[in-house]
Amino acid sequence: MKILNNKKLTILSILVLMIGSMMLVLNSCTASQKISMKSGAQLWAENCQRCHNTPSPSTFTPEQWETVGMHMQSRALLTETEKNKIVEFLSQ
Amino acid sequence: MQTLNKLTKRIMAICLFALISTVTKAQETTTVVDSSLLDRVNTLEKEASYIKPEESHLMAVGLLTFGYVSNKTTVTYNGSSSVSKTNSIGDADHFEFSPMFLWRHGKKFLMEFEPSFNVDGVGVNWAVASYYATPGLILRGGYLVLPFGTYNKRLAAGWINKLASDPEGIADASDFGVEAEGGIQAGTTKWSYDFALSNGMQLQPDGTTQFIGITDNNKNKLFTGRIGFLPLANSSIEVGASLMTGKVGDAGLKYQNANATLWALDLNLVENLSPFQLNIKGQYSEAKVDNAEYTDPNNPTNTYTFNNHTKTGYIMAALRPMFSQNDFVKNFELAARFGNYTTPANSLWGTKDNSLAFSLNYWMNWRTVVRFSYEAIKGTSTVSQSLGGNPGEITKSNSAYIQFCIEL
Ligand code: HEC
Repeated sequence: MKILNNKKLTILSILVLMIGSMMLVLNSCTASQKISMKSGAQLWAENCQRCHNTPSPSTFTPEQWETVGMHMQSRALLTETEKNKIVEFLSQ
Repeated sequence: MQTLNKLTKRIMAICLFALISTVTKAQETTTVVDSSLLDRVNTLEKEASYIKPEESHLMAVGLLTFGYVSNKTTVTYNGSSSVSKTNSIGDADHFEFSPMFLWRHGKKFLMEFEPSFNVDGVGVNWAVASYYATPGLILRGGYLVLPFGTYNKRLAAGWINKLASDPEGIADASDFGVEAEGGIQAGTTKWSYDFALSNGMQLQPDGTTQFIGITDNNKNKLFTGRIGFLPLANSSIEVGASLMTGKVGDAGLKYQNANATLWALDLNLVENLSPFQLNIKGQYSEAKVDNAEYTDPNNPTNTYTFNNHTKTGYIMAALRPMFSQNDFVKNFELAARFGNYTTPANSLWGTKDNSLAFSLNYWMNWRTVVRFSYEAIKGTSTVSQSLGGNPGEITKSNSAYIQFCIEL
């Protein structure tokens, strides 16, 4: 419990993870694919899990997906292209 | 008779002329009205044609968080301790029933309204209208959740949070204001911005700050903003930095220039390491309010001051064998969270808290979860003796939860 008393621990963990992520960026640059080249299915699989479990396309009607799409574009600050592709995929 | 006949004929002729001219005139007038009406109808039609009735859509969603909590609190000071135990169905601190209405008007406007029934009674979490102005810009006005860190706006919902409680020290930050936000792609990376201007907070007699609603306490507005960066093409990592700043003093009063400045760093990582999904989330923030002289409530002739600096942070990790072949096993998730919360020493609310929480979650579907959680919080009081406090007093709170969360 002693170590937990160190309030710097949280900042430290966050910093370590931030640096870790930067290193991952450098490593992954070569394999990266531009968002504009990705399919709706891929963007759906990659983005929704950032905050909660990924809903399946059968959860809603196309009309409802359009509404949820706009809502999540705001929550997740998706780009317009991402949102359009994801909604199109979910509405199929 | 002859003359009369002549006269009658004349009168009739005049009447006929008058009638015809009236009718003609009337026809002329009708034609004039018709064309101007047509113009108006055309204009109105043009104005209304950006949306057809079938492009409007109202959707009701919502969430429930409900549970049971058993708590044991031990307070130790100068070698002697006292113990208190409570348990409650409903879990007063975390019970919430919030229907949410999403009203889409075409593809440009979205209204969002979330009333909420919880321990504070019936209130409103947010009530806003958003305008999707251009591909990278959403404009919003109303009662907003301010974009400070990620917890309040993105992770606080019971079915999204992975533990039964909220991390300590993350204050609700909702206010009347306007907001501009958007996501931008830059090659394989993504950026996002979210800025708000709102009425702001008010400094309370004990040095805490509070949002006070639609009537502002000063002319100054509160600025809140967050910049997010997703360095990887697969969006698996996001880091963010936030700032909130504005005057908190009442206009015309002694502390009218008192300012509050808060900053935060946040992190989100979701990695699929088959069969597991690993989730790491964290937020660290500090708040600084300008020094002020406060009145001692126990002795109103006395004033006191303190360094009004609050720090709070948490880091959470969750692991779920989501991609396991076993349909039962894949629904389980283990989560742990470490947090700390340090409020100003020598204030009436001075404490140094550390918390550790664990949870075993069972996902019934993607938005329904049952969790068995445990949380231990250890707080050391830093309220000065002169304010009637017991500096060094230790409060240990242990809670066990069974919680059910659903989003519909
Ligand atoms: C940045 C976090 C975040 C991301 C990423 C995210 N969501 Fe959400 N989602 C939320 C929050 C928060 C809610 C709960 C409603 C609220 O608080 O506004 C929610 C609610 C929902 C709901 C319930 C209905 C509603 O609109 O509230 C659906 C469906 C949903 N999300 C689908 C998705 C899909 C599909 C994606 C992927 C494109 C996605 N979400 C990505 C945060 C997120």
